[in-house]
Amino acid sequence: MTSVSMRRVDEVPDKELLARHAQGDPHAFAELVHRHRDRMWAVALRTLGDPEEAADALQDACLSAFRAAGRFRGDAAVTTWLHRIVVNACLDRIRRKSVRPATPMGDDATFDAVAPKMPDPTDAHGVSLDVRTALEQLPFEQRAALVLVDMMGYSVDDAAEVMEVPPGTIKSRCARGRARLAPLLTHHRNRRDSKNVGGVEGGGMPK
Amino acid sequence: MNPAHLDYDVLADLAEGLLEDDQAASVNAHLESCAECRDRSADLADVSRILAEAPAPPMPPELAERIDTAIAAESMHNATVVSMEQRRGRRHWRILSAAAAAIVVVGGGATVGKIALDGSDGTGSQASTPPQGDSARRMSAGAAPHQAAPSESALAAGAFKVTRSGTEYRAGKVAGQLGRLLGKGQELRLQGAPPTAQMSGCVTGVAHGRTPALVDQASYDGRAATVIALPGGRAGSWDVWVVGPDCSAQDPHVLEHEPA
Repeated sequence: MTSVSMRRVDEVPDKELLARHAQGDPHAFAELVHRHRDRMWAVALRTLGDPEEAADALQDACLSAFRAAGRFRGDAAVTTWLHRIVVNACLDRIRRKSVRPATPMGDDATFDAVAPKMPDPTDAHGVSLDVRTALEQLPFEQRAALVLVDMMGYSVDDAAEVMEVPPGTIKSRCARGRARLAPLLTHHRNRRDSKNVGGVEGGGMPK
Repeated sequence: MNPAHLDYDVLADLAEGLLEDDQAASVNAHLESCAECRDRSADLADVSRILAEAPAPPMPPELAERIDTAIAAESMHNATVVSMEQRRGRRHWRILSAAAAAIVVVGGGATVGKIALDGSDGTGSQASTPPQGDSARRMSAGAAPHQAAPSESALAAGAFKVTRSGTEYRAGKVAGQLGRLLGKGQELRLQGAPPTAQMSGCVTGVAHGRTPALVDQASYDGRAATVIALPGGRAGSWDVWVVGPDCSAQDPHVLEHEPA
């Protein structure tokens, strides 16, 4: 197939790809998604926890974005706009049905199926499983805020733009979420090995 | 705040600067004197660090493929709107100029159109032709497909044959041309060859579960093309797709689309 234009497509800025898509370029949107899909996937997977739900949400999001591209206003970064659509698609999934797995510890087999297939000497995979389980204890708003700010590295202001709430709301959600997670993630800390408190299994709250 | 230890909520609010000044001052005063609460404060910082360090799995290849396919299918559905609304400046259509086209009719009283196969025709012909129900002029026998006619049972749901009617589809005339072809009824669609894997993917991409009334590997404005006719909402209406020879599940290569 021919390329979209003479310019290498990977040099085209996001906004131009979106504009080309809105003008009918049949390949521009696929390129845009290709470019950002890993981060979009990370947001969806972390926000929903369940890989199958996340996959469905991400597909929903991509199609929503495809259709809504003409309404994109150039005042936001395309990635912000895309992530907003992903987060909203995740929320839709949650509203439509509870995605919380029957077993709080999650379906490891399913998760393993999508986990990176690589040697993991640092046990990072184990960490991610525990993090995921801990995140599932949070309400959606807190989880999404922490996914964006702490996990994806968004600034509070950018996360606020993604979630369309004031920055103070993001700060508050992050604070609530971290307070809830603190007792759940104690075993990841080296600093306090001697006083490693429990509470992980039961999703316990601070003493 | 007093002698009682601070809870994570207060400490998290402090870290985010959410406490009122006087409350923040009292919390800070407590932290000065309480190692336990300093530890708790550090716990909160650790939460952010642990979250940041959690590995992000890349999108699984199956999902990437699934989404690509969904987008490709969506692209095809949108091609029409675009072709109507964005007649000017659609230089991207030029990429089709060298391509042979394929026409796919997806049932419905199609008005089929007009695509500028070579981008030089930026204005395009706006004309579209309503289906001509008279089907007075039937295809000549000479245009019949070469392949042996498969049995009716071969046309299970979703199955289709690729016809070679020999029709020279013309922009703006496709609906009428199809109307005459499809006026021949079952005969035409039963004749033809099984689709190649690529054609199968291509048609599946545009058909969205519908069984095509006709998949005609022919020409469109002088270029090789496949016309796919899918059943429209009403009897006799056709959702028509004209696709190029490169059409596949991943890339529909839509030359023209006229919805039912």
